[in-house]
Amino acid sequence: MLKPGEARAPGHTYQEAIAKDASQPPEAFLDYSYEFLGDQDIPYTHYTSHDFAQSEMEHLWPRVWQMACREEHIPEPGDYQVYDIGHLSAIVTRTESMQIKAYVNACMHRGTALKPPGDNGYCQNFRCPFHGWVYSLDGELLELPEDWDFPHVGAGTHSLREILVDTWAGFVFVNFDREAESLTEFLGVLPEHFRDFDIADRTIETHVCKRLPVNWKAAEEAFMEAYHVKETHAGGRDFSEPVTTYDVYPKNVNRFIHTVGSVNPRMAVPPSEQELMRALWGRRGPAEGDCPIVPEGATARDVYAEVIKKSLGAQYDMDFSHYSTAQTLDSIEYFLFPNFFIFPGLSLPMVYRFRPDPKDPDYSFFDLYFLRPTDSAKPQSPPPEPLMLDVQDSYTLAEGLGFLGAVYDQDTDNMAAQTRGFKTCAKGGQTLGNYQEVRIRHLHQRIKEYLEN
Amino acid sequence: MVASDLEMDALASDSRKVIQHEGFCILVCNTGGVHYAIENRCTHQDTSLDEGRIRNGFIACPLHGVRFDLKTGQPRGDLTRIPVRTFAVKQTGDRLLVQMHKADPHNEATT
Ligand code: FES
Ligand SMILES: [Fe+2]
Repeated sequence: MLKPGEARAPGHTYQEAIAKDASQPPEAFLDYSYEFLGDQDIPYTHYTSHDFAQSEMEHLWPRVWQMACREEHIPEPGDYQVYDIGHLSAIVTRTESMQIKAYVNACMHRGTALKPPGDNGYCQNFRCPFHGWVYSLDGELLELPEDWDFPHVGAGTHSLREILVDTWAGFVFVNFDREAESLTEFLGVLPEHFRDFDIADRTIETHVCKRLPVNWKAAEEAFMEAYHVKETHAGGRDFSEPVTTYDVYPKNVNRFIHTVGSVNPRMAVPPSEQELMRALWGRRGPAEGDCPIVPEGATARDVYAEVIKKSLGAQYDMDFSHYSTAQTLDSIEYFLFPNFFIFPGLSLPMVYRFRPDPKDPDYSFFDLYFLRPTDSAKPQSPPPEPLMLDVQDSYTLAEGLGFLGAVYDQDTDNMAAQTRGFKTCAKGGQTLGNYQEVRIRHLHQRIKEYLEN
Repeated sequence: MVASDLEMDALASDSRKVIQHEGFCILVCNTGGVHYAIENRCTHQDTSLDEGRIRNGFIACPLHGVRFDLKTGQPRGDLTRIPVRTFAVKQTGDRLLVQMHKADPHNEATT
């Protein structure tokens, strides 16, 4: 008799599937790190209640590391980026000595926010628009108009309040809690698992920020499992139904990785490698020419990965030959608690960031980025302005998303319905699969630890 | 009153010039090979824009950092809602024509 959480889909595992690739996948991909985390329902009130949201705002968001921007948002001294989370706001900037610093976005005189929400820009120093108090890029109070009236004020007491800031892989993270553990501790296995990727050298190619009609946790959950793919994305029709591994790491990391272009182990009569190749090729559209022939003994996955590496290599004028088949093709999604997702793969290069809407727990903000690899020796163009989409706007308005625009619409179309269902459902909570939905449980387990501490 | 257009030499790439013309202080700039002309005055708190950093088609006011879209004059963020005046620029060879009497066709807010 299997214990809860021990059951797996019939057929091979993700790790077994990629072990058959011609190229050696990164060691971390072969790792199994599932843990049964219980099977209780997750109360709907954790999504819908204002009190719960308030409690998250008090005990969770001020204490965790959050991605504020990429380093390329602030390449030179005086460049700044505002990061807002609930009612909290931080200014991240680059100082004259090229250090990255972060401050609470509020004047030390009468509290005026120095920069507007989400702002990105440049200034020589931070000058409050109300009475003109001026702070250096290092946060020091420099100028105090009519200082005869403020004998009780000085740089020692009224410089900008600094908060923690650190970087990893080109991302700038902030933490409002000055006593918090280091970013390195917080990241856990992430740096080790990303050893074989060059994320620091990537740059933002597309950035879309959309308001979603669902609580931030449910928004994240829509991207944490591949269980929905068959129904929501009409997946599996081209017999390449994904084989997925779900893994949880201490304390803040979990992941899924699923194959692209492997045989669905549940099919009674498996397709030939050439049939698989045709299915993969079909995604690329007619402009791509004839479907390659899979040589005897080779797999469609390996042949297709070579095609992708060559075509992206030509597009970006770079060499991707060191990427394995799994790194090139698969959907590799890592989550860093509480609101950051990163896909280090070559053909699916996304980053997600979710934030609650402080005015209404039924809404959230979803920043979706596509990163492109770059040759760090060449000059880079600055990151694009984010395209802002409201609840009703389709992702297909964002050209940079290509065919994935329609896919993100499918993902987000369920959300308003879920919010409504949370409120009428008599059962009281979400029921989760033990294996495929374990990452959702991990998210709630971590939140609980913060709220109860 | 119809102001006469401003004729001038094209600017080197990524350079800028401030010109007094017909009562306007005009900032002409070339960013990435494209010329723009805007009024050299921030609509937020009235300072000159010419020392602001230009990036991605925006100029950032050096005082409080409001960014204006060089093409449309529209501000980002909520410090001001007033667009900066823009002027259409026509380039013929090495010469520029900054059109004073016509608002920039992109700039609906100032028409
Ligand atoms: S509130 Fe900032 S200078 Fe007065
Ligand atoms: Fe999906």
